[in-house]
Amino acid sequence: MATQTVDTSTTGRNIPWGLIGRISLVVFFVLFLAVPLWNTILEMIANPQLLLRQLIIGLTNGAYISLIALGYTLVYGIVELINFAHGDVYMIGAFMSLTLIGLFGLQAATPPEVRYPLMLLILVITMAFTATLNVGIERFAYRRLRTVSRLAPLISAIGVSFILQNVGLLWGYLRFPALNGVMGSNAVAPKSFPNLLPTQNLLEPLQAVFGEGFRVRFTGKDLIMIGTAVVLLGALYFFVQRTKLGKAMRATAQDRDAAALMGINVNRTISLAFLLGGALAGAAGMLVGLYNGTAVFNMGFKAGLFSFTAAVLGGIGNITGAMLGGLLIGLIAALSDQYINAKWTNAVIFGILVLILVFRPTGLLGENVQQKA
Amino acid sequence: MSENLLLKATGIVKQFGGLTAVNNVDFNIPRGSITSLIGPNGAGKTTFFNMITGLYVPTSGTIVFDGEEIQGLKPDAVTTRGIGRTFQNIRLFAHMTALENVLVGQHCRLHASLLGILALTKKVREEEAAAHKRAQELLEYVGLGRSRANELSKNLPYGDQRRLEIARALATNPKLLLLDEPTAGMNPQETDDLTRLMRKVRDELGITVLLIEHDMKVVMGISEHITVLDHGAKIAEGSPEEIRNNEQVIEAYLGRGAAAHGKGGRQTAATGLRT
Amino acid sequence: MNPRIRAGLAGGIFGALITLISVDQVVYLAGMLAGTTAGMMVAYMEPQKKWLDGLRQGIQAGLLGGLFIVIAKLLRAILINPLIGDSTDLGGQFMLGLNGLVIATIISAIFAVIATLPRPQDLIGRYAMVAILTLIYPWIDQYFQYRFMGEVIPVLVFVLMALGLNIVVGYAGLLDLGYAAFFAIGAYATAMVASPHFGISLSFWLVIWIAAAVAAIFGVILGAPTLPLRGDYLAIVTLGFGEIVPIAATNLDTFSLSILGFKVIDNINLTGGPKGINPINRPYLPGIGAFQSSQPIPWYYLILIIMIFSIFFILRLRNSRLGRAWTAMREDELAAEAMGINIVKTKLLAFSMGATFSGFAGAFYGSYISAIFPESFRFEVSVMLLCMVILGGMGNIPGVILGGLLIQFADRLFLPQLSNMMQSIISSPQVQLPSSLSFLHELSFASDFRLLLFGITLVVMMLLRPEGLIPSERQRMELHADEEPVVEQQQTEVYTARNQETV
Ligand SMILES: Nc1ncnc2c1ncn2[C@@H]1O[C@H](COP(=O)(O)OP(=O)(O)OP(=O)(O)O)[C@@H](O)[C@H]1O
Ligand SMILES: [Mg+2]
Repeated sequence: MATQTVDTSTTGRNIPWGLIGRISLVVFFVLFLAVPLWNTILEMIANPQLLLRQLIIGLTNGAYISLIALGYTLVYGIVELINFAHGDVYMIGAFMSLTLIGLFGLQAATPPEVRYPLMLLILVITMAFTATLNVGIERFAYRRLRTVSRLAPLISAIGVSFILQNVGLLWGYLRFPALNGVMGSNAVAPKSFPNLLPTQNLLEPLQAVFGEGFRVRFTGKDLIMIGTAVVLLGALYFFVQRTKLGKAMRATAQDRDAAALMGINVNRTISLAFLLGGALAGAAGMLVGLYNGTAVFNMGFKAGLFSFTAAVLGGIGNITGAMLGGLLIGLIAALSDQYINAKWTNAVIFGILVLILVFRPTGLLGENVQQKA
Repeated sequence: MSENLLLKATGIVKQFGGLTAVNNVDFNIPRGSITSLIGPNGAGKTTFFNMITGLYVPTSGTIVFDGEEIQGLKPDAVTTRGIGRTFQNIRLFAHMTALENVLVGQHCRLHASLLGILALTKKVREEEAAAHKRAQELLEYVGLGRSRANELSKNLPYGDQRRLEIARALATNPKLLLLDEPTAGMNPQETDDLTRLMRKVRDELGITVLLIEHDMKVVMGISEHITVLDHGAKIAEGSPEEIRNNEQVIEAYLGRGAAAHGKGGRQTAATGLRT
Repeated sequence: MNPRIRAGLAGGIFGALITLISVDQVVYLAGMLAGTTAGMMVAYMEPQKKWLDGLRQGIQAGLLGGLFIVIAKLLRAILINPLIGDSTDLGGQFMLGLNGLVIATIISAIFAVIATLPRPQDLIGRYAMVAILTLIYPWIDQYFQYRFMGEVIPVLVFVLMALGLNIVVGYAGLLDLGYAAFFAIGAYATAMVASPHFGISLSFWLVIWIAAAVAAIFGVILGAPTLPLRGDYLAIVTLGFGEIVPIAATNLDTFSLSILGFKVIDNINLTGGPKGINPINRPYLPGIGAFQSSQPIPWYYLILIIMIFSIFFILRLRNSRLGRAWTAMREDELAAEAMGINIVKTKLLAFSMGATFSGFAGAFYGSYISAIFPESFRFEVSVMLLCMVILGGMGNIPGVILGGLLIQFADRLFLPQLSNMMQSIISSPQVQLPSSLSFLHELSFASDFRLLLFGITLVVMMLLRPEGLIPSERQRMELHADEEPVVEQQQTEVYTARNQETV
């Protein structure tokens, strides 16, 4: 073989693309966004009541986003899969609860002593349903792919997401008389929930203190939304931190093989993560349906992306992080609706997602993962 | 003196969280030598390799290769500067043929630009033809004949996969070739062949070789310099003869008891190192 | 199962499905498709050396396929035609079915005989045969008055995009969920420089390059910060980008730009907002004049030419050092890096090359429909493209084309036709639907089952055949078949195994 001369002429031109990309993002921000942001802050200060109202909306947004975000975080923490179909499980939750509401004949006029126990029952059934669904999805569509590659289960998850959306669409055709007309007359149109939550303003007494000019509202609806979410999140936190199963989950998340060696049934633990995530998503679906009064078959996409962003913002895999992230994303979305423009809110949230992933992929609370080689 | 050193590493430390995998190691590779890095499992040998090749950034210390500091460079930049490597657990491109694997190795020595590729200029065509020819030659050089060239690398027998990895590393035109346990899992016959190949690479191609190896017969037979790591620290270095008789090395391999317990222990240790 | 029966079944089911839902004349097309499928499959599964064996084999498979068409035709005549008022003349229908059978058999035999030629004549012959069928299609369409051309052209546009996405997903192994965004960028770039919107009217032949370049630049802009991310994060970021682009297109009808607080651009209509930009200039060729929407044939050949050029260049990329670097990176990123491949640069090239072809597609599509709307580039489109790539076989051009054709024809022709037929059936006077089933009147296969189609494709392919219908590996083995017998590859891993943490 011929003697070789090592050619080093290409060594000089290693262009640091990643760095260039980061710098250009910063430059973009300074040039185009810094001044509008400052103006917005001034605007917020000028009208504190409006700001307060938006913050309350943000809080209710945050409540349901946190619930969904937990599903992403639990699953990602254990199997490192972005469960793309999770937002659609939430949508199915909304449809399931609406169906049950129709079945039980609940209406705005139903007396509270009948209505609330039944709603609680519906919540439980819905959660059980979506939990089972989520576990089934894992069994059927992800489990076999777990060892194949990272992207195969993700692609499968996208497929499941589309299947669920289509199920939601066809669900709209279920117009049995027994459902008391909750599915409306057009299958693809948004479905209306009856007004089952109290709408009186809990801050009315404050008007006596601050005078007529005080217009901030915090309704019973807001309270129920936030209250239910807090109770569920608390229960989950307790479960994961204190119970034996929860500890098994955390152990599996840290090191699946070691956990298996310690006698933890890994498959069952993974199912458990899907079970919990599915239950919370179902609850979120029902809450949002009741709160906003509508549900539509493609509502899962946006909610899913907001929640995934929340989970990443908090530090994916981190339970407290998901709750915090949910709250922040909820607030940001509400503020963006008011101070930027509702039509840009999606773009704002995606922008945030990109920025976090690029600049701090571990999120706010995620620990620095050991650099992998 | 130092112009005779191809690689000079000084004060290398690597920590993984609380674990210090490599602890303050100085390490020199003379130009044109075959140098071995040995030590018990988990001593930090592979970690050291990974720092040289840019897969890990050292926590501290400098690595000078051919007169240039390379610590912290990206792996591709290191390779381009003339360091080729193989992996302890074979990492071929499983669904590419043997020939394609070697062609990938030549990547950083080829110049075809995007436009050149799209226009398929004469220069690009000639370069491709030359690359294919050279890939064939390299395959034959490591003992994989033409018949194997178009087989998917994952379908090759184990021993051939190890050879293919060497061919792929050679394709990067290295000045320094790092081999991480190249004879692991091979039978004595294959091991002998591979030892001969390593020597040939140094003698004929003038490539400096750094070897991690557990088979003491190979190490003692082929290397001019040996460095011994234990628990991340360098505990000995020198010629094969010096290492063979070094108390600390024997201790590291067989535990404290062996060296302390007089003759019997020594004997076993020495045989252990010899075979 | 006997390969001949398998090939015949595959072709037959294909042909029968088409025959069942279509009006009379389409049976010729069904025959062509069934014959092509059966002939190619049987020759592939059971290679023959002698042309007579090939002929026999092709005829057998083709006959079986054709038989299905005849049966389908008869079934339709007996069961469906009376309900929808189509011909119930059994004899006539049988004769039509027989015509289909004859065509299927002839075409299948031709393909099977061609396959017995020595290499590389067999490959040349096969592609020539496909080329002939493709080239004469417009006349078949015209002669039998199918009027499918209006759908065939967008189908080809999407196949072109799938070919571009294949560079990103199939070659480089980067999951891009926002690929349609580059299509949108190409289309909008076209609309801005070749329409009355800004009053700029560049020639289409220039615009198509501008569109591709703009898309490529956006590919680099998006890729530079995000490509160092891990695979699944990259997927989500591209998805986000894919959503931002249509949002921006919808809302940038009032575009103001201030740099550091100073207004530089005040309130211009950049994108036409939700209404989009309309009209967009058509290509002009001396001799043909400006292309018309009522004249599909020039468009058909134009997109074919663009596609052939694209395939030509994609193959060059594939067989270059860059293409090898893509594959290596997909197989084992770390080992690739250790072999001297600059990962970020290589990914960036894949990304921008993919974007380029999408830009071509966008330019063509924009001027073909002569209008663009932000809604035509949503996530759904990106996922549909992904389905096309995965169904056919990632990283393999014939596979991607096949996958693209299947998904697109199912989406644009099969489901709508099926839907029409179902509607005709249930609204015919003979059928009395019980009131509980009255919702069937609204149910539309065209729009109510598309997502299901995409979703099931993705899940089933991942679970059962991640390598796609025509995996690239087999094709590669086929090219080297002279030296070694073809080895059945079980369950090809789509991407490199996940456990790569240790070196
Ligand atoms: N990426 C990593 N993260 C954490 N610890 C690591 C990492 N890589 C190596 N280590 C640890 O560093 C130590 C040295 O490992 P290394 O692989 O270098 O040993 P070695 O000498 O090559 O052993 P062997 O002969 O078994 O190959 C081990 O304790 C190992 O667990
Ligand atoms: Mg090692």
